[in-house]
Amino acid sequence: MITREVAWRVFAAEFNSSSMEIKGEEERAPSYIITPLGAMVNRLFVVGVMTDIENTGTTEEPLWRGRISDPTGTFYISAGQYQPEAAMAMSKIKPPAFIAVVGKGRTYSPEEGTMYVSIRPERIAVVDEKIRDHWVLETCKSTLERISAVEDVLEMESPSVEELVKLGHRRMLAEGVMKGLPHYQGMELERYRTMVVDCLKYLIPEYRIEAGVPEKVAEAPEEIEDDDKEDVDNEEKILGIIDKLDKKGKGAPWDDIVEEANKSGINKGELEELTNSLLDKGLIYEPVLGKMKRI
Amino acid sequence: MEREELAPHVSEIARVLKGKIEESEIWKELDTYLNHYRVSLETAKRGIVKKFGGDPGALTKGVRKPIQQLALNEQSVDILAKVVTVNPKDIEVEGKSKSILYGILGDESGTIPYTAWDADRFPLQKGEVVLIRNAYTKEWGGQPQVNLGSRASVEPQPADSVKLPEGAPRAFPDIGEVKISQLRENMGGVTVTARVLGIEKREVEVSGEKRIVFSGAMADETGKVQFSAWYDFDLKRNDLVTVRGAYVKSWRGIPQLNFGERSQVMRPGIKFPSSSELAEAKARSIGDMEKVGGGVDVLVRGTVVEVRKGSGLIFRCPECNRVVQKNACRIHGNVQALPDLRIKAVVDDGFATMTAVMNRRMTESIMGTTLDDSLRLAKEAMNPDVILERIDERLFAQPIEVTGNVTSDEYGLMMIVSDAKISTPEVRGEATTLLTRLEGSS
Repeated sequence: MITREVAWRVFAAEFNSSSMEIKGEEERAPSYIITPLGAMVNRLFVVGVMTDIENTGTTEEPLWRGRISDPTGTFYISAGQYQPEAAMAMSKIKPPAFIAVVGKGRTYSPEEGTMYVSIRPERIAVVDEKIRDHWVLETCKSTLERISAVEDVLEMESPSVEELVKLGHRRMLAEGVMKGLPHYQGMELERYRTMVVDCLKYLIPEYRIEAGVPEKVAEAPEEIEDDDKEDVDNEEKILGIIDKLDKKGKGAPWDDIVEEANKSGINKGELEELTNSLLDKGLIYEPVLGKMKRI
Repeated sequence: MEREELAPHVSEIARVLKGKIEESEIWKELDTYLNHYRVSLETAKRGIVKKFGGDPGALTKGVRKPIQQLALNEQSVDILAKVVTVNPKDIEVEGKSKSILYGILGDESGTIPYTAWDADRFPLQKGEVVLIRNAYTKEWGGQPQVNLGSRASVEPQPADSVKLPEGAPRAFPDIGEVKISQLRENMGGVTVTARVLGIEKREVEVSGEKRIVFSGAMADETGKVQFSAWYDFDLKRNDLVTVRGAYVKSWRGIPQLNFGERSQVMRPGIKFPSSSELAEAKARSIGDMEKVGGGVDVLVRGTVVEVRKGSGLIFRCPECNRVVQKNACRIHGNVQALPDLRIKAVVDDGFATMTAVMNRRMTESIMGTTLDDSLRLAKEAMNPDVILERIDERLFAQPIEVTGNVTSDEYGLMMIVSDAKISTPEVRGEATTLLTRLEGSS
């Protein structure tokens, strides 16, 4: 059976915490990175924000390295001459940008006991925010499924793959969890559960406004809540203005934004605060000095 | 350790050392390592092989396991089994043609599919008993499969060293009442309650004998299945029936329901969804499809993780419909090839993966570009690959919903798509629901 390896959905925090690998010794036996929650990763699918990219090789023999952020951390990817299509695609990406990657998990062990993981892309492309949000949701679900399998295994007196399958877990995951059990011993489950909760909140706009406000909204004075709401409305306005002025897709000129904002009753000081907030949230960026562009 | 228990290890060391030293010498060595230096058996074996210039890698690392106990990802395992079936097959590996064998192995504990990746190195014969060393397993449909790769070896064994259980107890276990989505190959004694969506009378030849068969499709709330009734039960479209004593055979992985004279058909007076409600394709996961091998008219959700080469603008031989390169057909030589569009997309939901094949009509509808448009674009770019690039740009990383018939073979699952759309998942709502559930439970 020459079947294709599935593309796992795993958050950066879980993937990067992996410290166990099963090497395939046969010509066709694949290698797997076993994550702390028992994912058996050969291939993975990742969507995030490419924040940084550079060619660490030469023009003739390029080696492109990049960082992709998800809500939990950073994936490291690299593509060289043996991944010509991915390397070519990477050379054209201008960070920051939403990026989707399908690739193989790679490991690097500089010394006994340490292992770093990265992704060697097979295919990489610029996508939009919707695809990213959908990936975060799918990865939440996938992570929850793994958490539940690890919880079940910790409650078993004599855990085994068969027992996990009986409880309705997928066989592939059951094997991963059992392989990882002696190594990870089900550690940090609570951390991963909190991580999923945070990622879900990341997808819900109500929580996104809350981000940055240290106290809970309910405990804050009412005017601030109103201000917040007004800020969000104004931010929407600015985004609209930038969209409208960005005719060639190279960004909207700052002076024109100031002028348009003024017409909507937003003065320059307020505008600067609003754009700063939008920059912080990663909704816009400055492609060149003096221009603003939607991500 | 008893002498008897050590004997197979001594002969294994002798095998690896290819007669470089006498077996009596190996006995002495093994005794020294085990009883004087008190190292483990594994270490002892490696040590002896190394000492006499052999390759310790050739030693069995895995243990011998009965088929029932094989896990999904055994790295190295020995299996003593009877070769139940052998099928030759030619595959292409990196442009080169290669002969492989596949089939079923059996022992007292059960049966398992295998692939021998070199027909010359592993001349397996149907019915012989063999000891396979250093095989590995891979998962397919949640079940392990045995692979004989470069490190494997096969040794013939006496025919009576494996006795398969009498009859074929695993072939047709009595299943009882099941939903259509649970049907899988070789189930027997199945009871299904479903509505007949369509039926036709056909004449077929079975082993040289003409027989009448009533075939069609039936459905319950979990999905549809094709059936063949080898006896006239007077079935009509829209009939609600309970079939008892049916069995399941697969066609290209798709489970099909069969029943005949010895089966019973009843007409229960219960409430059941109407034909039009049942006609709609039911959503199934790719993992589900893997488990049962395939299905008719199913809806599958996933993400396009690859648009395969061979997608886009292609040209076909007018005689045989094969895809041709540069107007030259493999069979019919130079031809006036006809343009066509197709997409082969790998759809993956994070748990399992499937190839979705879309014909010209599907490709045109999902791309919003006709064949004529595509020809024009390719001509402008002077390169037909631009169509593949456009498809890739449009579909890669997109969540997608595809409907169609899912078949399977040794390359995995494949859907012939009858309806496709890029889906717009409702992320916010689902995230809120999930969050409420999580915070409620903690």
